[in-house]
Amino acid sequence: MIPEILAGLSAVLDWQVLAFLVAGVCMGAVFGSLPGLTATMGVAILTPLTFWVSAEQGLAMLLGIYCGAIPAGGIPAILINVPGTPASIATSWDGYALTRKGQAGLALGINALASAAGQLTSIVFLAFLAFPIASFALQFGPAEYFGLALLGISLMAGVSGKHVLKGMLAGMLGLALALVGLDPMTAYPRYTFGMSEFLDGISFVPVMIGLFGLGEVLVQISERHTASGVQAATIGRILPKAAEYKSMIGSTFGGATVGTMVGAIPAAGGDIGSVIAWEQARRAAPDKAEFGKGSLRGLAASCSGCNAAIGGAMTTMLTLGIPGDAVSAVLIGALLIHGIQPGPLLFANNQSFVFSIVFLLIFASVLIMAIGILCAKPLAKILKVPAPWLWGGIVLFGTVGAYALNHAVVDLWAMYAAGVAGFLFRKARIPLGPLVLGLILGPMMESNLRRALILSRGDWTSMLTRPILLVFLTATLLALLWPLIRRAFGSSASNHRPSLDA
Amino acid sequence: MLGCCLFAAGCASTEGPYPSKEIKLIVQAAPGGTSDTVSRVMASLAESSVGAPIVCENKPGASGALAFSYVARRPADGYTIGHAPVEIAIVRSLGYADIGPSDVSLICLVSKTAPALVVGSDSPWQTFEEFVSAATANPGQIVMANSGIGSIWHFNILLMEQGTGARFTHLPYGGSTPALVSVIGGHADAAVAGVGEVVSHVEAGKLRALAVFDANRSSVLSEVPTSHELGYPVGAPAWSGFFGPGGMPADRVAMLADAFETAFGTEEWAKLCRERGMEALYLDKDGFEEFALAQQEFFEREIPQLVRMEGP
Repeated sequence: MIPEILAGLSAVLDWQVLAFLVAGVCMGAVFGSLPGLTATMGVAILTPLTFWVSAEQGLAMLLGIYCGAIPAGGIPAILINVPGTPASIATSWDGYALTRKGQAGLALGINALASAAGQLTSIVFLAFLAFPIASFALQFGPAEYFGLALLGISLMAGVSGKHVLKGMLAGMLGLALALVGLDPMTAYPRYTFGMSEFLDGISFVPVMIGLFGLGEVLVQISERHTASGVQAATIGRILPKAAEYKSMIGSTFGGATVGTMVGAIPAAGGDIGSVIAWEQARRAAPDKAEFGKGSLRGLAASCSGCNAAIGGAMTTMLTLGIPGDAVSAVLIGALLIHGIQPGPLLFANNQSFVFSIVFLLIFASVLIMAIGILCAKPLAKILKVPAPWLWGGIVLFGTVGAYALNHAVVDLWAMYAAGVAGFLFRKARIPLGPLVLGLILGPMMESNLRRALILSRGDWTSMLTRPILLVFLTATLLALLWPLIRRAFGSSASNHRPSLDA
Repeated sequence: MLGCCLFAAGCASTEGPYPSKEIKLIVQAAPGGTSDTVSRVMASLAESSVGAPIVCENKPGASGALAFSYVARRPADGYTIGHAPVEIAIVRSLGYADIGPSDVSLICLVSKTAPALVVGSDSPWQTFEEFVSAATANPGQIVMANSGIGSIWHFNILLMEQGTGARFTHLPYGGSTPALVSVIGGHADAAVAGVGEVVSHVEAGKLRALAVFDANRSSVLSEVPTSHELGYPVGAPAWSGFFGPGGMPADRVAMLADAFETAFGTEEWAKLCRERGMEALYLDKDGFEEFALAQQEFFEREIPQLVRMEGP
């Protein structure tokens, strides 16, 4: 084992390989921080460039893009409330709230630190528990995916803040929008109004850019004469204080564990991982009410969760040859071009290459931390840009990003419509988080429930014999019934306090 | 007014020899898949003989119908071309867009991928015959994962049911990878996917290939019998070619076809085909037209029957 580790390390301790890694992380940061340009797209577009370099150099660049893009997606989420990639949706909840409080620097610092910590934790899982995690991921059949999606959807209540009913309304709207397109089981067109542009459903990224980016711009324009945005111009310190570090340890590593597991499950990546990580941190936290209003714990959990999903996805890719998410699917193709076939045989025959990947991931996480901290101040200067210029920039980049995704004009209309909807929702105090959850998780929940019913030949009860599904169902029930349970058991304790939200 | 027209015509004629600017290659699938890789590799290999950059642009959606219709609507000047997969011969039969190989200028074909039938490595069926007789004796007992209703691999399953009398419970997924994962994880019993998509899992011992639906043995799964050897001449391959809007000037089609043929002859292309389990197959404009029109006719004849058999 030791010689393989050393061989793997020496293969990447080459200045050219490290230069490719640095270049990759920087390019990834550009892809990640521009909404609409995703990590998948960056890796796919640059894959052909790696034909002409060695496998280690090419892989270093592609892994760099992957690792650089995910935390960079958190930067616009924190500064302007527009997630750069779907993985940073949960980052915007607490991150942007901190920016509004004048703590943008601290939010960017935590983004860099927690992302790196999450990724390093997931690499430890990869190095020591790769095969157990992989066999856990393989046990995910349709019923288990349904359970995971249901658990995710039950978080709607948690991300709704005070407005639970309005949150549910938005969530149901998200689920309804997720129905548009070809029926996943019969390929029959649903709600497409005869337009082939809608056959694949409503593209998620343009809707996300519209709801968060354009919607926020419209709100700020409508409130420009009030003083609400004044504080946002201060940046504050970057690094947390000792006490703050201490408070975030639990949620960071909890988030990393959740992120690694979700990332390892094929077809579930950082977007779902970070949302679940955020909710688990909220449940465990003493200051639940702070979540969504600028909680450092919440921010740390979501950042660490979405980067830990990288290690999880790499675990499934390296041990089974199965992509854990969209990026690793492209990575497998790139490795094939270099004659490397990820899978159990790679672990058996070419261990040193596996360790090269592990070391590249470790170096990449150090890099994202260093670059993230060093660039936090200059990046946060964007907040000093006069508001009208910033609004114009968001609309411009949002438009380019929404179009760049599929080169489809219909995506632009989806973005603008979502922008108007986002504005109206904010004005009506309807939370947007649940809508996004419904839109992301709806297809996963629907298609896997129907697949599970095909497998059980229409029998709902036989699904309940599956242990992983039972765990998810129990967690979902607890999440939904928790307020009632607390009221029933703790009624005497809370009697002295009149209920405000009754 | 007349002056304007003359001026415009004059400009057009002094534009210079084709190509004087970059050529856009529209890919009907998302970045990263086989279509995208084939297009990007071919584009980069053909650029030098074309003498202008070939830039790939992804326009996924509706089984490729959006990209095919988009390219067909562009000016037929050779500056916008598209990747032509088997779906270009299918989308009309599926009702996604009124377009087919006869409506566009086909340029050339560069590769073909045969389907393979796989089962889990610990499944009881060792041969295609055992599998078919089990599926015939117990209709609907065997769960067959597919890469999506209306996808080329799903049609191969339907063709297999039609040709062998076997009946399966169909489990649709949104692509080959999740369908194969569900077989590896033991959730489904079998699946049909491209040879290149299954070969790594077969080599790793996670899946067992029972048959390749083709006339000739696959170079990467050479020990697996073909459906034709087994007496069931079923199977519809996936393929990759290039096309432009209908009515493209013949000299520009010929020039692009020559450039792609040069790219086809490179070691890089042979290597990519080996690694992706594709059969490197070059058909020039005439050969591709004959092949694609036969495919279109085949799917227009078969799909209504297959869908009827499948039931509502």
